[in-house]
Amino acid sequence: MEIEEILEKWSGGVYSVSIGACAEDGGSRKNTVRIGGQKSLPLLFKEGDIPNRPVIAFEIWDIPPQDWPEGLVSSYGKAPEDPLIWAQMCVKDFGARLLCLRLQGAHPDCGDKSPEECARFVSSLLEKVSVPLIIIGSGDDAKDNLVMPACSEAAKSERCLLGCATQENYKTLAASALADGHSIIAESPIDINIAKQLNILISDMGFALDRIVINPTIGALGYGLEYAYSIMERGRIAALSGDKTLSSPFICFTGQESWKAKEAKGGDKQGVIWEIITASSLIQAGADILVMRHPEAAKRVFGHISVLFGGNNSDH
Amino acid sequence: MKITFYPANKSTSVEKGASILSAALSAGIPLNASCGGDGVCGKCRVILKKGEVFSKASSLLTEEEKNKGVYLACLTSVMSDAEVEIPSASGFPSKDDIYFEPEIRDETQGRPIAAESFIRKVYLEQGLIEELHKALADEKKVSGIPQILSKETTITLAVTKDKAEVIRTEPGDSRSRNYGFAFDIGTTTVCGRLVDLNSGKTACSGSSYNMQVSLGSDIITRIVFAGKGEGLRILHESICGTVNRIIRGLADRGGINLEDVSCIVCSGNTTMIHFLLNKDPSKIRKEPCLEPSGLPFFSKAGESGITIGSNGLLVCLPGVSGYLGGDAVSGVLSCAMYRENALCALVDIGTNGEIILGNRDFLVGCAASAGPAFEGSGLSCGMRAEDGAIESVSVNKNDLNVSYSVIGKGSPKGICGSGYISLLASMLDSGLIDKNGRIKAEGSRIRPGDAGKEFVICLKEETGADIFISEADIDNLKRSKAAIYSAAAILARHLDLNLADVSKFFVSGGFGSSLDIEKAVSIGLLPDVEKERFVFIGNSSLSGATRALLSSCEMCEARAIASRITYFDLSSDPEYMDEYGQALFFPHTDLSRFSGKSRHDKPKGEEQHGN
Repeated sequence: MEIEEILEKWSGGVYSVSIGACAEDGGSRKNTVRIGGQKSLPLLFKEGDIPNRPVIAFEIWDIPPQDWPEGLVSSYGKAPEDPLIWAQMCVKDFGARLLCLRLQGAHPDCGDKSPEECARFVSSLLEKVSVPLIIIGSGDDAKDNLVMPACSEAAKSERCLLGCATQENYKTLAASALADGHSIIAESPIDINIAKQLNILISDMGFALDRIVINPTIGALGYGLEYAYSIMERGRIAALSGDKTLSSPFICFTGQESWKAKEAKGGDKQGVIWEIITASSLIQAGADILVMRHPEAAKRVFGHISVLFGGNNSDH
Repeated sequence: MKITFYPANKSTSVEKGASILSAALSAGIPLNASCGGDGVCGKCRVILKKGEVFSKASSLLTEEEKNKGVYLACLTSVMSDAEVEIPSASGFPSKDDIYFEPEIRDETQGRPIAAESFIRKVYLEQGLIEELHKALADEKKVSGIPQILSKETTITLAVTKDKAEVIRTEPGDSRSRNYGFAFDIGTTTVCGRLVDLNSGKTACSGSSYNMQVSLGSDIITRIVFAGKGEGLRILHESICGTVNRIIRGLADRGGINLEDVSCIVCSGNTTMIHFLLNKDPSKIRKEPCLEPSGLPFFSKAGESGITIGSNGLLVCLPGVSGYLGGDAVSGVLSCAMYRENALCALVDIGTNGEIILGNRDFLVGCAASAGPAFEGSGLSCGMRAEDGAIESVSVNKNDLNVSYSVIGKGSPKGICGSGYISLLASMLDSGLIDKNGRIKAEGSRIRPGDAGKEFVICLKEETGADIFISEADIDNLKRSKAAIYSAAAILARHLDLNLADVSKFFVSGGFGSSLDIEKAVSIGLLPDVEKERFVFIGNSSLSGATRALLSSCEMCEARAIASRITYFDLSSDPEYMDEYGQALFFPHTDLSRFSGKSRHDKPKGEEQHGN
């Protein structure tokens, strides 16, 4: 007897978000990256359309990284000493199609760079590389509120993804991103209600919901991974059930979290494995952008995505 | 040691080493101490003017404050005679006096009260026992009749279903002077009412803050306090003090002699009734506390330290469980939802809020710990609904100027619960705050403060008082409204009902004469249904107690209702926190639940974020 396959029917879907603007859109990028757009839970291809595969963004800093383990930094050779060379290396040598710039140098404890300096760095980075950019602040709210508007303006019409807006500090970033045509990352502390509330607050400022990407905040393997996983799963089920205020794609800072783990700091190989497992698990939870640090881990995860989604684009 | 408090200019004597907090309490001045005197909330700041004290170290005081002589009253012991000043933020507004309602509300809801009170006065011309039996018109056993009755005697009786008891005999004819008190013993506010049992009319009503607020703002802190040393005795004396003060005030105002009062009917949450009767409340916190056992329905008022006429009775309306008390039962009695065919809900907005769902066929209730914000306590400029309280505010969208109305038409002194509801709704509507309750506009009325930004409603120069709302106040109100709404939502969900299925919402609370239902809906305190379905019934606990006082039938009903209500425990419900988290937003994280059904000018389906 043939057993009928029972498929879930969903009424909603995830918004699709484009990052990067090519010449025809008024920008200078060579490629754009499109994420989201799913009408099904991750990898359940039969239940609904999954038009875009998860993408990997290489994390780079505007200063040489400070608390990264030696083995992680040396995987880029001497490149991180000059962040512009580092960025180009990610694109040329490792095939990055998306970069995530963290403006750590603006942090009062890490050099306290002025908004103008940061904006100049963003401009030169846009000249040196042609891939789309994610730009995130230093994590110091007061400073980021000065730095991010300047960088947003410097990258005007390049349709970047700017982050991270939080419940306590979203207005400045949202206003700049809105004015300069960027999309925005809304960060919530592993809390589905706050994720939803922040999306409503940002959209109340006139931001279209299809220009928001949720950073649900994650924990690495052994450090709350399953907690993050279940929160993402709940959010995605809500989106597919028709909740528009939770229908944004997810960005996961897997590199940052994985390399915080004490196991990762213990040895380079273990760190690479930690990052691979964390990122691969979150693909299953519905991650759309994985911000990664180690090129070897990125390569392996890319291979994994190719197996899951078919095909094998040689670029990341 | 003699301690004098200013600006009240009241003195008390305490033993050396007693804390300033306990001295203030014995002087009849409640201090703000929401932690119950554990030294962690930092609200009981006082300034030492004279005298020697010993204070434990606290990180809550700044160097500047220490230099100015600021101490935390709970951590500071007096070592000599002293003079202490209480800053307005540490005390309670109009803490010392009783607020008498200018008008007596008709609380009967158009439902006349049937039958007579269980307190009856019988006049005997010849003082014969036979006459007494005849007057009672049945064969009830009468106990406690004195051997010798004088020629002309009035006997006061307490008549219940199966017996009658003599409370008092007095010479002459005193039938025209038969009074009783009805009381609502709230966690934050105590309200009393003097009722003429002959006419059924209320002579006067008055309310005051519960003196126990200085021993903790919520019932859990107070139960914990009761378990420590003399804690229970202190709590008992403090609630009796509050009740007796109101009793004296009402008697003076009504111009009656306390000897003509034979009964006081109290309704309150289970914890408050324990304190009133001087019973150990520790069982309430222990699982399972299904029945508040051991609380007598009738007792002698004098045994609990309540001063009314000699041998007078204290009636405590029965509760349902540890967290669902006689006040909820009294509320159900008052709105008569237990007789309705249609599905009704009673939403009592108080420090311990209660939600009851049901009709003539079933009654299910739960408690929601909402905190004292809607009673005007614990907020920068909060006060009870009394003269000088701002009861409604509207903010102009364009220039953020405000207009407001004040109870009693005098100059404003603070904001009461209904004022805060109106203010929040208007701030949201004008875009002054975002849906999370953060002040996002800028202007001359917005200034930085100790607890986030502040929005100024009245400037000191204009009105003599600086009245504002801070972001911390907004958070506080947001938590309170979320507790009430989420309790209602989850109770309905567990009964497989939708709040939209409820045809009548009885809303009760100490909001003075009015509550703008539409605004309460727009901030997400009440569910979004057509506003015709809401009925604001004032203080339902007090009106239920009045009914029970006036009618022995209604008193029996109250006992029956208590046994009919099924208690639903939210604290052990895993879904509650999730529902609560969703409600921590204005009006709610799930916007589809608040699409504006309560407003008629807005057509259905016009949602900004339709789901």
